[in-house]
Amino acid sequence: MPDLIAENIEKQLGTAQILRGVSFQLQEREILALLGASGSGKTTLLRSVAGLEQPDGGKIEIRGKLVFDASSGFEIPAEQRGLGLVFQSYAIWPHRTVFENVAYGLRLRHTPEAEIKERVNKVLKRLGLDHLADRYAHQLSGGQQQRVALARAMVYNPPVLLLDEPLSNLDAKLREDARAWLREIIKQTGTSALYVTHDQTEALAIADRVLLLDRGLIQEEGAPEKIYGAPTNRFAAEFMGSNNRFEAKLAEVNGQKGRLEGEGWTLWGQMRSTKKVGEAATGFLRVERTRLSNGPGANCLKMKLASALYLGERWEYLFHLGELHVRVWGEERLPEGEYWVSAPENSLWIF
Amino acid sequence: MNRALRSLAVLGVALVVFGPLGLIFYQSFLSEAFFFPTAHLSFEAYRYVLTDSGFHSAFGTSLIVSLGMTLISVPLGSLLAFLLARTDLPGKKWLEPWLLVPIFLSPVVLAFGYVVAVGPVGFFSLWSKALIGRVPWNLYSLFGLVLIAGLTHVPHAFLYVSSALRSLDPAVEEAARVAGAGVWRIALTVSLPLVLPSILFSASLIFLLGFELFGLPLVLGDPAGLLVLTTYLYKLTNLLGVPSYHLMAVVALSIVVLTFPLVYLQRRMLRTAGRFAVIGGKGQAFRPLPLGALRWPAVFLLVLWLAVTVVVPLVGVTLRSLVSSWGEGVKLTEVLTLGHFRDLWGYPNLVRGIVNTLLIGAIGGGLSVGFYAIVGLAAHRWQSRWVSLLDYLVMLPRALPGLIVGLAFLWVFLFFKPVAPLRTTLFSLWIAYTVVWLAYGLRLISASLLQVKPELEEAARITGAPQGEVFRYVTLPLIRFGLMGSWLLIFMMFVREYSTGVYLLGPGTEVIGSLIVSLFGTGALDLISALSVIEVALVGFILFIALRLGVSLHA
Repeated sequence: MPDLIAENIEKQLGTAQILRGVSFQLQEREILALLGASGSGKTTLLRSVAGLEQPDGGKIEIRGKLVFDASSGFEIPAEQRGLGLVFQSYAIWPHRTVFENVAYGLRLRHTPEAEIKERVNKVLKRLGLDHLADRYAHQLSGGQQQRVALARAMVYNPPVLLLDEPLSNLDAKLREDARAWLREIIKQTGTSALYVTHDQTEALAIADRVLLLDRGLIQEEGAPEKIYGAPTNRFAAEFMGSNNRFEAKLAEVNGQKGRLEGEGWTLWGQMRSTKKVGEAATGFLRVERTRLSNGPGANCLKMKLASALYLGERWEYLFHLGELHVRVWGEERLPEGEYWVSAPENSLWIF
Repeated sequence: MNRALRSLAVLGVALVVFGPLGLIFYQSFLSEAFFFPTAHLSFEAYRYVLTDSGFHSAFGTSLIVSLGMTLISVPLGSLLAFLLARTDLPGKKWLEPWLLVPIFLSPVVLAFGYVVAVGPVGFFSLWSKALIGRVPWNLYSLFGLVLIAGLTHVPHAFLYVSSALRSLDPAVEEAARVAGAGVWRIALTVSLPLVLPSILFSASLIFLLGFELFGLPLVLGDPAGLLVLTTYLYKLTNLLGVPSYHLMAVVALSIVVLTFPLVYLQRRMLRTAGRFAVIGGKGQAFRPLPLGALRWPAVFLLVLWLAVTVVVPLVGVTLRSLVSSWGEGVKLTEVLTLGHFRDLWGYPNLVRGIVNTLLIGAIGGGLSVGFYAIVGLAAHRWQSRWVSLLDYLVMLPRALPGLIVGLAFLWVFLFFKPVAPLRTTLFSLWIAYTVVWLAYGLRLISASLLQVKPELEEAARITGAPQGEVFRYVTLPLIRFGLMGSWLLIFMMFVREYSTGVYLLGPGTEVIGSLIVSLFGTGALDLISALSVIEVALVGFILFIALRLGVSLHA
């Protein structure tokens, strides 16, 4: 049985349709990322599951128990859903110690005092917070606060852990460490987790499965490798990673392959849509799959180096061919001149 | 707190607001006071009042006073706000709390202070006569009244404009400076235009307060024969010999009809005000604009305003409380005495008044803050039509001068027999005060509640706490400092309150403010000045504590 089932969730705010019928399931022990830009509806979806927002349509079940059904007006309030939620701002109660923050959920569940002490200390120890039990939020660093928020949400073993951009308030270095650590902790606990983020690297790294949301709809769904490496949807192809775009006309279709024709160039790629010959189409090619070639070859274009930017871990070259601009990553400074740019046919997706 | 409890709180507010107002409405259509058996439905009262030339001239005077004081206080308040919020005015940290002092002083005390300081035989008038041979001012004139009303309402403009200026991104001023603008040009072309909504809002507020003025026109207008709407109402009480409640009800309603649209307008303005402001989210330290050579003239302006508005009346009333008599040819050093304060103890009603003032301020104020907190929490994070109803409900008492609320509650206690015994207890006064200060109190509470980030409460709900438990565990502990500050502010407001108690004044319900008003008719200057000094000392003491505790006076 899935830990969480959301069916056809709709939410209207004023005149804006925030969610337009989103359905998904969260399996046992699974980490599911809700990925999307701001305004995509991902946080509204999470808050709907939590019970902090009331959707206008749809149905939500937690471990087989109905908690919300718009058609019958049934709703279990947030406090009775038994979920754990890690807030983006952590929301540590500033007037309570770390220990009290974490213990509150157990107190509300009338856990005996001795057991509270044991369980809180256990979870604090696990998250490396045991020496901070008597501190207040303002005496903690951002990373420590984030761990307190996690401890508070986990201590009463909620069926589903909800995380709303939990790492976005950490600075970049800390965030990279926290990524690995967070996945490890959630996996050890064995709980399932719904993880909202706008950071695609974070989503790919932490989640077992990713839901890509845009304008209130699921655009793409699947394992991280599939979402990034083999998108079936134009939005997903464009949203993920850094891309070169080839705006052109579809000149020829041959089975799964298609040929794009622009001003002074032509390239073969994989057909990812049902466009017909003669229609305008766009090719997407991840920048890291775009290569420099020693000489002319299949799917190679001769382009002029317009500029080269040094980014630290790599160089980024910008090539021009008329109106067509292509970015390529490389390892060294390139002298001015013309180069052969290779666009591997299997990585160029035509939508 | 569940839905039923929340709705109950809103209904409670509706009851205390609509009850008295409804009674005024009903009374205005009766031929005489409602307790006469011969009273019947009639338009007689309307006919009398609306054709009375005294009412017409009172209306005209109210209009002139309102306009005049707005024209004085808004430009001056805005200028002072700019100086204190945005420039390197010397000593501004030290001067700022003083700017708000007039808000906490009872207008009737101030007015009385002016009478004994700059009235025809006031201290300053006689000193001026001795020095230059004449008195170059005339307190008892329309101009005098407008000027004093304007000067004492500068803080209201200052409060709104300075808080808007403080949230203005300093970068917009720095950009003007870099472009070559001097400090005055920046004020007139950048800073003040950007906070125009707040300036207009304060103007409409002060215009509204103009119609509700009572203490100043009572004391200063009377000798010159000037009546405004509220003093016209007050005079009606004693005019006909029998209680002319039906006429008073018509006048009261006419004031509400004038003020309510203003309150509604302000609500609209407040909603659009946010669109104008350029808010700097970073809150970084910025360098104040240098005033240069104008520093000292600016300080002088501020100090002059303070001297005229606060120092002169307070010095007057304090001196008057310390002299046995005063007039031409009297030497100050020969008449000094503490006798008036001793005399107070000979009047049981005055002693009760002082004790009652303390009780209603400290305990009543605390209870009122409790009531405001319950109402505030009821509306807190509740998306319901009840909350918009509450918004409108709260607007009504703002349109009601304290004098009228007090009158209405007097009628409530006379009209509804089961609550009649409460009329002669402090409860009658407390409930009237609570209604008069409802909007102010709720604003204090909601300012505190706004500081509580919603996630803190949501976190508790997710953890499993029902709504009431969320308030108990998270919200209330987080606003307890705000509640204490609100209590101190309400304490001061209740101590300085005078008009609300005027009609409820009786054995057992005396307070300093209403006693001063009633003593004023008897001309007992000695007792009035001693009571005034006690009231000012009380307010000053609480203000001192509030400032020491870091309570923000910017409500």
